[in-house]
Amino acid sequence: MSPEAVVNVICPKCGDPVGAADQFCESCGAELGAGAAGAADAATPAPGAELGTQLRAPPRSQVEQSLPTQSMGGAEIRCTCGGVIDADGWCTTCGLRGASERDHFTEQPASHVAAVCDRGLHHPRNEDAVAVAASDDRTVLVVCDGVTSATDSDVAALAAARAACDALVAASGPATAAPSERIGHWQAELTAATQAAQTAATDAAAHVGSSENPPSCTFIAALIEGPLVAVAWVGDSRAYWFGDDGTATQLSVDDSWASGEIAHGATREVAEADPRAHAITRWLGVDSPGGDPSFASETLSVPGWVLVCTDGLWNYCSEASDLRDLLNTQAAPAHGDPLATAAALVDWANAQGGHDNITAALARAGVASPTRSS
Amino acid sequence: MATWTAEVFENEYLAADATDVHAIVSVGCTGAGAAGQSGDAAEVIIVDTSGSMSQPHAKITAVRRAAAEAVGDIVDGTWFAVVAGNHKASLAFPPRGGMVRATEITRSQAEEAVRHLDPSGGTAIGSWLHAAIALFGSVEAAQCHAILLTDGRNETEAPGDLHAAVQAATGLFQCDCRGVGADWDVNELRGISSALLGSVDIIAEPDKMAEDFRQMMQASMARGVADAKLRIWAPQGAEVLFVRQVAPAIEDLTNRSTSVSALVREFPTGSWSDESRDYHVAVRVPAKPLGSEQLAARVQLVVAGEVVAQGLVRATWSDDSTLTTRINPAVAHYTGQAELADVIQEGLAAKAAGDDATATLKLGRAAKLAAETGNEEATNKLKRVVDIADADTGTVRLKRDVSKLDEMALDTSSTKTTRVK
Repeated sequence: MSPEAVVNVICPKCGDPVGAADQFCESCGAELGAGAAGAADAATPAPGAELGTQLRAPPRSQVEQSLPTQSMGGAEIRCTCGGVIDADGWCTTCGLRGASERDHFTEQPASHVAAVCDRGLHHPRNEDAVAVAASDDRTVLVVCDGVTSATDSDVAALAAARAACDALVAASGPATAAPSERIGHWQAELTAATQAAQTAATDAAAHVGSSENPPSCTFIAALIEGPLVAVAWVGDSRAYWFGDDGTATQLSVDDSWASGEIAHGATREVAEADPRAHAITRWLGVDSPGGDPSFASETLSVPGWVLVCTDGLWNYCSEASDLRDLLNTQAAPAHGDPLATAAALVDWANAQGGHDNITAALARAGVASPTRSS
Repeated sequence: MATWTAEVFENEYLAADATDVHAIVSVGCTGAGAAGQSGDAAEVIIVDTSGSMSQPHAKITAVRRAAAEAVGDIVDGTWFAVVAGNHKASLAFPPRGGMVRATEITRSQAEEAVRHLDPSGGTAIGSWLHAAIALFGSVEAAQCHAILLTDGRNETEAPGDLHAAVQAATGLFQCDCRGVGADWDVNELRGISSALLGSVDIIAEPDKMAEDFRQMMQASMARGVADAKLRIWAPQGAEVLFVRQVAPAIEDLTNRSTSVSALVREFPTGSWSDESRDYHVAVRVPAKPLGSEQLAARVQLVVAGEVVAQGLVRATWSDDSTLTTRINPAVAHYTGQAELADVIQEGLAAKAAGDDATATLKLGRAAKLAAETGNEEATNKLKRVVDIADADTGTVRLKRDVSKLDEMALDTSSTKTTRVK
C-alpha cells in the first residue's frame, strides 16, 4: 500500500474510519484532501475515465416507471467519492450521478436476437435507446439516438423505440402473401410504427414541460421475417446486412449533411470528416420536420447478420465492408451469440474512445426458421 | 392527506468556469384540509386598545366588530383567546385566563366580551407578544396563529423590548399584522410579521377591518398542514448563496436555517393550506470541466420529519453559448420582483428622509420593474406616489401632497409578487 493510501484511513476531522479512495468523509462530510483520492485521480488522466466510472446516468424522475428498472437489490450504492447514491440517482455527498441501468442495458428476447445500449465514455447520459423483439417468425430491431443538445432526449428516445417495437410486434402482417405484397404491407406497418414513435417522443416532451429545446431523437426500425428484411428510418442511425457469403450492405441512407454531400459526389471519407457531418436533417420529436420515414428492403438469399446501430458505433467504422470484418472478428470468439457479439462491438467502440453513446442491435437473419423464444 | 408537488425552473447549463446556479422551485399543496387535523390549533386575536383607538371613535367600533367576526370563524375545537393591548396586555377573553376551546357557547361569550373593549393608555407591542407566548404555552397545540392589529407605533416600551419579544415568539406562532390609519410604522410591523411568517397590510378605512379579519381567520383555519420545512441539500464544497420565498410574497429565509447535517439545512415555512409558494434558491458550486453534470441542490418539503416533495437543481457545464446564455424566465421574473420590493422600500425611505433625488431614482427603477414584470398592483400604487413619465426608462416625478396612507399602502404591498405569466 502506498503512503498516500494510508493517509485517509481515518478522517482528519472527526476521526471516523474512511475508505482509502474516498474523497469525502461519510460521517462528517469533510473533504479528505489530496491524499488517496487526489493520487488516484492523478494516476488515471485518461479522458473519460472519470466519467466512465462516476457519471452513470439514472432515468429522469418523470418517466422512471417507463425506463429499465433501477433494481439495485436494496443495497446501498456508493459513489466513487465514497458518498451514498440517493434513490433520486445522485450522490448525497458530491452531487455526481450514481450508476443506473439506463446507462448500460441489454435485451435478448430470443437466442438469435440481442441488443446492447451503452452510455459510452464521454456523455453524461445515455441518450441512445433500443428495443428488440421476436414473435412468431418476426424479428424487430428498433434503435433511437437522442439529440444531446435537447432536453431529456434520453427519455424521448427510449419511449420512441419501445412504442415502435410494440407497434411492429402487434401488427404482424399476412404471412401468406407473396413477397412483393408483403413488402408493401410492411412499408405501411413501418410508417405506422414511426408515427407511434413520433407520438411517444412528443408525449415525452409533455412530461418534461415547456422547453425551448424539446427532446428529439433519430429513429430506425428493421423488420425481419423469413428471407425478407425491411428498414425504415429518420435520421442517421443505420441498418446493415452482412451475409455469411461476405455480402456487406448498408441498407439505410443517413438523413444527414454528410450523406447529402456524398449524394452530390463527395467521398465518404471527406464528407464524414467534416464538422457538419453529423448534422441530421430529419428527426422525431415535437419539432420534427415531419414526413414519412425513408424505406428500404432486401431479400436475403443466404444466412447472415442484420445490424442496427447508432453513430456511436459506425462513426468508428463506417464502411459496410469494414464493419463486416469487425463484426466477424468479434462474432468468432462469441461463437455467433448475438448478445456477446453486440457487447463486443460496444466494447470495441469504447476502446476507440467512446465519444458518443453506443448501441448495437443484432439478429441472425436470412434463415427459414429463426430460433424462437420459449 | 395533503398531496405535494415540487417543480424546478432553471437553466442548468453553465459556461466554463461558471459557478452560480439559480433555480425557482415551485411547491404546491392540495388536500390540506382544515386547521387542527394534525394536532390542536390555537388562535390569539390581539387588538390595540390604546387611547388613540378612540380618535376617531370609528376605530374602536371597527375593532369590536372585526374581533367578533374573526371569533365567529374559529372552527370548533380550536383553542382561542382575545388579548386587549395598550401599554400592557390584558386578557379580554376568556375571563378566567388561559385559552378555551371554540364552541358555539364560547364563541358567543367572546363576541359579547369584545363589545366591551375600551380604549385607554399607550402602546407596548412587545408585551402583547409576550402575552400571546404565555397563552400558546398554556395549551399543547400543533399550530399557533395570531392576528395583531395596531394603530400606532410601539412607543411605550424600548425598541429592544419589542425585538426581544419577537425573538422569543419566533418559531412558536405565526402572526398576521395589520395597521389601521396612518400613525403606525410599516417597518415595525413588517419586522414582526416577517419573523413570525405572517403577512402585513394596511387597513386604511376602519370599516374594511371586519372583512379583513374574517379573511385572515378563514385563511388560518384552512391551513390543515400544521408545519412544513424547506430542506435544502447542497453538495460538498458548495455554498448556498440565498434562499428566498418569492411568491406569493418575498421573504428572505437565508439566515433562518437550522443545520440538519453538514450538507443539509432546514428553513421554516409555517403552516400550509391548499396553495403554492415559489422559492428562489441560489447555490455556488465549484466549476467542473465542460460536459460535467452534477446535482447542485435537492430542495425538499418536509412535514413531520418526512420528505413529501423534492425538486432537483442541476448543473451542466457546456461550451454551447446558446444554452449557457439563456436566463430562465422564472428566475428573471422573480429576480426583478425582489429588486422591485427593495427599490420601493429604499425609495420611500429616501423620500421620508428628504432625499428626493434618491427617491426619484429608486421609485423610477420601481416603475420600470413593475411594468416589466407585469406587477399591476405595484404600478397602480406607485402612481399614487409618483407621476410615471416613462415606465420603459424609469422616468418619474415625485408627486406633491402625497397621502401618507398611499405611501404606506405602497410600502406594505412592496413584497407582494405576481406569478410568471
